[in-house]
Amino acid sequence: MKLILTGLLAGLLAATAAKADEMAFTSWGGTTQEAQTKSWAAPFEASSGIKVLQDGPTDYGKLKAMVDAGNVTWDVVDVEMDFAIKAAKDGLLEPIDYAVVPKADLDPRFSNEHAVGSFYYSFVLAWNKGAIPGEPTGWADMFDTKKFPGKRTFYKWSAPGVIEIALLADGVPADKLYPLDLDRAFKKLDTIKSDIVWWGGGAESQQLIASGEAAFGQLWNGRVFALQQDGTDIGVSWNQNLTAADVLVVPKGAKNKDSAMKFLAAATGPTGQAKFAEASGYAPINTKAKAEMPADAVKALPDAHVQGQINLDMNYWAEHRDEIATRWYAWQTK
Amino acid sequence: MQGSFFRRSSAAGLPAGSGSALPALLLVGLFFIVPVVALLLRSVTDPEPGLQNYAALFGSGTYVRVFLNTFLVASVVTAVTILVAFPVAWMLAIMPPAMGSVVFGIIILSMWTNLLTRTYAWMVLLQRTGVINRALMGLGVIHEPLPLINNLAGVTIGMVYIMLPFMILPLVGTLRAIDPMTLRAAALCGASPFEAFRRILLPLSLPGIAAGGLMIFVMSLGYFVTPALLGGTSNMMLAEMITQTVQSLLNWGLGSAAAFVLLVVTMALYAIQLRLVGAKHAGGGI
Repeated sequence: MKLILTGLLAGLLAATAAKADEMAFTSWGGTTQEAQTKSWAAPFEASSGIKVLQDGPTDYGKLKAMVDAGNVTWDVVDVEMDFAIKAAKDGLLEPIDYAVVPKADLDPRFSNEHAVGSFYYSFVLAWNKGAIPGEPTGWADMFDTKKFPGKRTFYKWSAPGVIEIALLADGVPADKLYPLDLDRAFKKLDTIKSDIVWWGGGAESQQLIASGEAAFGQLWNGRVFALQQDGTDIGVSWNQNLTAADVLVVPKGAKNKDSAMKFLAAATGPTGQAKFAEASGYAPINTKAKAEMPADAVKALPDAHVQGQINLDMNYWAEHRDEIATRWYAWQTK
Repeated sequence: MQGSFFRRSSAAGLPAGSGSALPALLLVGLFFIVPVVALLLRSVTDPEPGLQNYAALFGSGTYVRVFLNTFLVASVVTAVTILVAFPVAWMLAIMPPAMGSVVFGIIILSMWTNLLTRTYAWMVLLQRTGVINRALMGLGVIHEPLPLINNLAGVTIGMVYIMLPFMILPLVGTLRAIDPMTLRAAALCGASPFEAFRRILLPLSLPGIAAGGLMIFVMSLGYFVTPALLGGTSNMMLAEMITQTVQSLLNWGLGSAAAFVLLVVTMALYAIQLRLVGAKHAGGGI
C-alpha cells in the first residue's frame, strides 16, 4: 500500500516538475485567450522551441494560494492592472526583467516594475438596434428609464468601471472622478437597480445584448467588435469610453522564470501586439504595433476614439480595491 | 436505533469487512478531512491568529444577508421539490414495473446531462425574450414578459429541476416498502382518500421525505452555478460570495471562516436528522 502511494506521489511530482522547454500561460479563456495563443504562443513556440501550455481561467485566489504554498504552476498570467499593482505590493509577483523584455516602445501607462502590458480596452456603451427606441448617446442615457425603458446590463463584479459610469451620468466632470464619491455613485445606481441585469463574463454580455434580453449595456469593446464581426446589428457609442488594461505578470517563485521573460518579450513586441490587436479589437500596448496593422483594423481600436476618452485610475483602484468591494457587494446583495 | 448501533460496532471496535473500506476511508481522509482541517486553521490564522474573521463574518450585514438568503433558497427549493416529487414517486411506486422503468429512465437521463448545459437551457427558456415569455405573449396571455429569471423564481425553477431525481429515488423506495393493504384497510374503515393520505401514507413515507429533503437542503446550501446564472445579485448565495471573497478580495481567512460555518451548520442539520428519523434512514431510503 505504502509503496503504491509513494510511487504515485513520485509520479505526480515528476509530472508537475518544471521542464526546461515548457512553461504555462494563464488567461481568461474564450476569444481573448484564443487570440493570445494564436498571436503570441504559437509563433513563440516555433522560434524558441519552448512549449507554451495553456491554462485558465485566471483566478487571483489561486495565484495567491500558489505563491503562499510555494508551488507555483503558472509562469505568465494575464491579470487586470489594478490587481497587478496590489499583488506587487503584497509581494506576489516577480519583477520583470527588462534586460530581456525590450521596454523602449512600451506604452508607459501600462507597464511597471512587476507587470508589462498585455492589451488595453475600453468600456463602451453598446445596444441592440432592434430592442431600443433611438440611439443612446452617453452614459446618462443608461440611467434614463423614461427615454430608454427595458433592462440594461453592467459588469457584475467590483472593478473599475460601473462606479465611474454612475458618477459621470450624475454629472461629475471626467477630471473630478477621483477620489470616487461612493455614496453618490450608489445613490445614482439605486435609481435603476431593478432594471439592471448583471453580466459576469464577456460571453454573457454578448448573449444579453445580442438576444435583446438587455437593450443596452456597458461592454468591453472587444466583445462588441466580435459581435459586429458576426453580423449582429449592434450600435456603439464611444462617448466617454473608459480605458483599463490587462497586464502580464510572473507569479513569485514561478518555476520557468527565464522562459517566462522570453515569452513576455515576444508577446509585447510589435508583431505579437499587432496580431493580437487585429484578432481581438483590443488595443496594443506597444507603440510600434499599429504600423504593422491593416488600416481598417486600427480604426476598430480604442486608440481611434481618444476624443473624450477617460483613463480609469488603476492606482486609485489598487489602493481602495477591498474597501470598494466591501461596499459594492453590500449594496448589490441588498 | 440504539440496538442497531450496538450491533454494528460490537466486534472489537471495528465492524467486519472494514478492511475493504480502507481505500475509501483513506480517500476521504486525505482529500476531505485534511483540507477541512486546513480550512479551519486558515480561518483562525489568516492574516493573523485570532477570531477576527468570524467577528467580521457575523458583523457584516452583507454576509448575514447572504447567509439568510442561502437558507431561504435552500428551504424553498426543498419544499417545492418535495411537493413536485411526491406524486411522481407515488406514481412510480404503483406503476407496473415495465412502465415504471421507462419513467425511471427518463428521470435518470436528465441526471446524465451536463449541469451547465441544463442551466443554460433554462436561461433560454426563462429569459424575457425566452421561449416561455414569447409563447405566452404570442398567445395573448400576458402583455409584459414575466420576471422568471435573475430572481428567486429562476433559481427555484432551475434548482428544483436538478434536485428532483434526488428526491424521487429515495421516496420511491420508501413508498414501495409500504404495504398497500394498509391503505385498503383505511378505506374499509371509512377513511376518505385524503384522510388515508394524511394519516397513513404521509406518516409512513416521512422517513423517505426527511432523508431526501435533508439531502436536497444540504446540496442546495452549497450550490453555485445555477443560482449564479439564474438568480439576481439580491439572491446571491454563500458559495458565490465565498468565491468572490477568495478570488477577488484574496481574503482566504474570511472565505475559510464562511465555508467552515456553512459546514458546521450542515453537520448540525445532519445530526438533527439522525435524531429525528434514526440512523438507518439517514443515508437515503434506497
